[in-house]
Amino acid sequence: MRSDLDYLVPSSVEEAVALRAASAGAAYLLGGTDLLPQMRAGRKAPGQLIDLKRIPPLREIRETADGGLSIGAAVVMADVEVHPAVLGRFPLLAECIRTVGAWPLRQRATLGGNVCNASPAADAAVALLALDAAFHVVSAEGRRSIPAGSFFRGPGQTALLPGELLTDLVLPGGAAGFRGRYLRLSRRKGMDLATVGVLVGKSSGTAPDRWRIGLAAVAPTPLRVAAAEERLEAKGAAAAEEAAALAVAACRPISDLRGSAEYRRDMVGVLVRRGVVELG
Amino acid sequence: MRKTITLEVNGASETEEVEVGMTLLRFLRDRLDLTGTKEGCNEGECGSCMVLLDGRPVNSCLVLAVEAGGGKVTTIEGLSKDGALHPIQEAFLAHASIQCGFCTPGMVVTAVALLRQNPDPSEEEIRSALAGNLCRCTGYRQIVDAVRGAAAAMRAKAAAPLAVSA
Amino acid sequence: MSAGRSVGRDVPRVDGLDKVTGAAQYTADLKFPRLLHVAVVRSPHPHARVLDVRTGLASRAPGVRAVASGRDFPLHTGIYLKDQTVFATDRVRFVGDPVAAVAAESPEAAAEAALLVEVDYEPLPPIFDVEEGMAEGAPLVHPDLGRYEVVPWIQPKAGTNVCNHLKIRKGDYEKALSGSWRVFQNTFRVPQVQHVPLEPHVSVARVDLSGKVEVHTSAQSPFTVRHLLAACFGLSHGDVRVHVPYVGGGFGGKAGINLEPIAVALAMRCRGRWVRLMVDRHEEFFATVVRQGLSATLVTGVDRSGKVQAQKMHYLWNCGAYGGYGVNIVRAAGYTCGGAYEFPNVWGDSIGVYTNRPVGSAYRGFGMQEIHWALEQQMDRVALEMGIDPVEFRLMNCLGAGKSTVTGQVLDEHAGRVDLCIRRVAEEIGLDPARERRPYRGKGIACAVKAPAMPNDAASSVVLKFAEDATLEILIAGIDYGQGLMTVAAQFAAEALDIPLETIRVKGCPDTDLSPYDWQTVASRQTWATGNAVLRAASEIGRQLCETSAEVLSVPAADLTLRGGHVVHEPTGRSIPLTRLVMGYQFPDGHAIGGPVAATTSYLPEGLLFLDPETSQSAKPVAKWTFGAQAVEISVDPETGQVTVEKVAACYDVGRVVNPGLIRGQTYGGIVQGIGTGTMEELVLDPKTGRALNASLMDYKIPSTEDVPTVMTVDFVETPQKDGPMGARGIGEHTMIPTPAAIANALFDACGVRISEMPITAEKVWRALKEKEKVRCRTPLPCRPLAAGPFSAESLARHLSSLPVPARTVALLTGIPRGNGSVDSVTVKWAHGRTRALVGTLRSGDVREVAYQPDVAALTGLGPGLTPTGDDLLVGLAAMASRLGDAGLVDPRALRAYGGSLGGLASASTTPAALALLGNAANGLYPSVLAAVVESLGNPDVQPETLLERAARLAAVGAHSGADLLAGALALALGIVFPEEAR
Repeated sequence: MRSDLDYLVPSSVEEAVALRAASAGAAYLLGGTDLLPQMRAGRKAPGQLIDLKRIPPLREIRETADGGLSIGAAVVMADVEVHPAVLGRFPLLAECIRTVGAWPLRQRATLGGNVCNASPAADAAVALLALDAAFHVVSAEGRRSIPAGSFFRGPGQTALLPGELLTDLVLPGGAAGFRGRYLRLSRRKGMDLATVGVLVGKSSGTAPDRWRIGLAAVAPTPLRVAAAEERLEAKGAAAAEEAAALAVAACRPISDLRGSAEYRRDMVGVLVRRGVVELG
Repeated sequence: MRKTITLEVNGASETEEVEVGMTLLRFLRDRLDLTGTKEGCNEGECGSCMVLLDGRPVNSCLVLAVEAGGGKVTTIEGLSKDGALHPIQEAFLAHASIQCGFCTPGMVVTAVALLRQNPDPSEEEIRSALAGNLCRCTGYRQIVDAVRGAAAAMRAKAAAPLAVSA
Repeated sequence: MSAGRSVGRDVPRVDGLDKVTGAAQYTADLKFPRLLHVAVVRSPHPHARVLDVRTGLASRAPGVRAVASGRDFPLHTGIYLKDQTVFATDRVRFVGDPVAAVAAESPEAAAEAALLVEVDYEPLPPIFDVEEGMAEGAPLVHPDLGRYEVVPWIQPKAGTNVCNHLKIRKGDYEKALSGSWRVFQNTFRVPQVQHVPLEPHVSVARVDLSGKVEVHTSAQSPFTVRHLLAACFGLSHGDVRVHVPYVGGGFGGKAGINLEPIAVALAMRCRGRWVRLMVDRHEEFFATVVRQGLSATLVTGVDRSGKVQAQKMHYLWNCGAYGGYGVNIVRAAGYTCGGAYEFPNVWGDSIGVYTNRPVGSAYRGFGMQEIHWALEQQMDRVALEMGIDPVEFRLMNCLGAGKSTVTGQVLDEHAGRVDLCIRRVAEEIGLDPARERRPYRGKGIACAVKAPAMPNDAASSVVLKFAEDATLEILIAGIDYGQGLMTVAAQFAAEALDIPLETIRVKGCPDTDLSPYDWQTVASRQTWATGNAVLRAASEIGRQLCETSAEVLSVPAADLTLRGGHVVHEPTGRSIPLTRLVMGYQFPDGHAIGGPVAATTSYLPEGLLFLDPETSQSAKPVAKWTFGAQAVEISVDPETGQVTVEKVAACYDVGRVVNPGLIRGQTYGGIVQGIGTGTMEELVLDPKTGRALNASLMDYKIPSTEDVPTVMTVDFVETPQKDGPMGARGIGEHTMIPTPAAIANALFDACGVRISEMPITAEKVWRALKEKEKVRCRTPLPCRPLAAGPFSAESLARHLSSLPVPARTVALLTGIPRGNGSVDSVTVKWAHGRTRALVGTLRSGDVREVAYQPDVAALTGLGPGLTPTGDDLLVGLAAMASRLGDAGLVDPRALRAYGGSLGGLASASTTPAALALLGNAANGLYPSVLAAVVESLGNPDVQPETLLERAARLAAVGAHSGADLLAGALALALGIVFPEEAR
């Protein structure tokens, strides 16, 4: 941690962006639950922290015109997981968030910070991928929207350009109604990073059923397996084994302290099949 | 770089100049001598440093003191009032939930937050809420029992005046 | 047992209020004026010569007040074996070994200055495994081992890496083994794990201008800290003062000394200043101490009834870089190597091996969880293979009154009842052999025993004194780091003096200048030792009170009793409140008698005898044993390998329950710590660099609230300990000893796989289940039992003389390969030799599995193919042996031993297909094509053409599997029928 570290508290997005543009060594600060340990370990050494938590619009969950939901980047996960609109229309997101860290950690950790940290094991990111979320970002150059599917680039790597600020994560109205399970293996049951995470979602409001398959901790980024989804949409839950095989083919796990690549690959298949069978 | 912050800790207003890099944990322990909040890992994994910040349980090792500026902090020292214990503290004594005691303050603080949000949690909900508070001594059984016991006692106390008026 | 006024009652802990309000101060909570902060320079190499340490730059860095390194502090320290200096001097022995340290005005300044210390290393080859460390010509971790000072009952071997070797020689092991009906041999492993106390190690020291040393430290044993500090700095004990405030967990990791010498070394360089060394969680994992690793090989010989006759235990302990404390674990594991069982003939070797790993030291259980992991799985395997219910098997073999331990100590009726503990947990979990089985749910049991491992003169003492208002103050120097010592000390005093608990204050944070001596808070000894001292002191105080009262009341002191805070004369009902006695009694005329009432007393274990240095036989090697058992019920997810411990039942014979709430807490806590080491914990080192890979709580997981069984039942037997305070004996460590083994046994019960290396992770179970599945799926040939049929030796001889066989078979039978020099020719020569050896052993009728194991192991996996040649020979041999056994030409016990050696093969040794065939053969199932030939051989009713046809069909199987199977069968038949030719 640098001894000349400064702390800045903008009250608007514009001010935050301007502060960031004015200094190359600054970092945006949300919950800080990932950033502070990284700074202490010397992996990051920003000169200024620009705290976004006091910018009112970033702390809101808003309904959008298309029946979707905009979740401000600074909303803490504990608030997302109990939000009535999330529970009602986007329960997959709550299902995944509930597995992140421990309950007190989620009182501090934000959804925005979690995706910007871009951990391959990010549980919540799997739901955002599955729900076709759009990440709204702003910088001195203007605003743009990044689809969740092209946001994650690798461990700790995102599509954010230097200085870009994530304002909110938008769940499209069209993604409402998916229900499902986030099946997850970890070394211990309470508070642990996923060894393997598999999200299986299904929306029955349409014909044919729509399916979602997402994976965590088995590739450099969280993944969505479109091929498995298509197979399920074409053949239904009877194609559970095929979907599992497609997911296994899509994952690219490494061996680490939490598990070997071989085990992880096998578990992707097991969990996808289980999830599909359960949702039937 | 140093900043001056003002915040309310256990009901008292405190104004201090702090290094930006100083955590809320270090601030409470080193500046205010509130050593009931413990440092077990300094990486948000053990829960020994749990305090309430604006009513929410947070790992104070993952919060900078400057971030808490303007906020309200409650530590273990703020839960008892003039020697009168919080019902959760009473329950920890009654259920033999304490051994070495190092995790106890953090555990009690998380339990206080839980019961504020959910006055009648199931065993599973208690276990889930406390999963970020590690204890190496007790095996958690008596801690979970204490939280259930405290919840019952607090509900009974809350319901008592109604019963009288009814 | 009925509760007393205080003892046996569920009183809240006396330190509870301090701890629940945040008032309790731990070492890091103490405030010191102008405190200096320490950063330690640690070795990045697992093994290297230290050529030079230059501290000049560091000492000139901003804020630095002191720098210290090895050359200034040459004295060695260590509680039993003095093998460690404050800083590494000539060599570093693990990644993290302290080389120098800096004290500065802030932690940041210290950390920055530490980077300026320059060290030149010359890397040496490291040793990480015990097997490497024991190898001939292995690099020596301590070349000077022979020159170290050591207590007489520890036996290091100079010129090797062995820091202690304890031998148990009881009865005649060799003879008992050769007479055994069946013999079982298995190897089990335990990795290094860390204690993970919630409070990391921290020590604060000051050396004043007169040279006196004062230390505040998070430690379990203040007097040992003082003793060892004095030794390593050459000081008088009287000039070293150690304070221990509240301690946030220790589990053995704070038993000896850790950080204190470094803090003191720096304090000597800046006299008058307080210096604090606090490790962070990362350093806690590898730079303090860890639990030793273990590699254990056990051989068990049983008679027909299932009683163990011969037991061999070979323990190799991975002691890490220094063994000062760990050498005594090696010793304790040796004299407890028989666990809770009576073994009449024992050959035990417990060997401590230095390696370049983190320092091994005491950890709750002191080696016992590790050896029980091996022994309790071994007992289960033996029971199941003998077809005996594991509970029954344990009851048949367990210790009890009149039975003798491995050291030859004969237990009396006060020693505790493991049989009752076994029965209670078996009943609680439902270990009925006739129980209904559900797939992937299993139940298992394991026993536990432990004695305090301590010097024979390890004492505890206490001071009891009164304040003016008759508050009783108890001074102890045992540490209450959670187990409840302060509370039980108060309970014993309240019970003995019949005073209210509220009038007692236990002064539980000792200061070696003022507190009475206590050896250490380890070994589950405090309730027992300090408890005894408190009872002695209470008795002395009672005597003083009664003596004064007798004079006041003019009655005999013998007629007086203590009741409810008064001294009472029962015959008349007259009484005097203690408030009028404790400072002396004053008569109406003003004269006073008595005086402040106080007592200082000690307790030293009585009658302990050394172990014989060669055999370790001793009639009373330890003060007491505490026995117990745990049983568990688990479920296994067959696809993910995840094991869920659903229910645990624990029962211990604790002599006397002093405080039900506290003892339940000890038990729950031990079970969960056992689940931690049993299923998730392991300190992983990078095999190349020796660095710890998971030295953080993110990467090293201990159980959380959600990893705990929903049901834990706890029960106690109370067979009073003769020399225990009100019958009590120790329990603190025992609660985590049997849990991992019980889970492992339940795992086998659930799904037929064994994990011999702790921890039982989901991935290991998944892998084992996959292996098992492969074996089941890929049996290449259909198998069946042999059909009975007529047999005559003459027919067999005729058949053998006339049967044409393939060239391949001939080569194996003669040992003369075709195409000499090829890979296959080596296979043929080897296979021939080993097969002949096995034929010889079978013919000799040897009943010991070990007699077959070397040859079986050598043949397993020998040669290429789906079923390698060696395995085919073994199966062919097995089939023929079975046929000849039925005919009375092979001893059925030898046959059984041979079968046992096939059944015990590890999955790693050959192909899954071969394993499947061997597994079937061990169970009396043989490939049908082979069975047809074997049934024909020697059968007078079988026509030569038929035999020929069957042999041809067999020979046609695979590339040469059939020919090899045939060779195995014929080798034995020839060896039995034509022994001369075979030779």
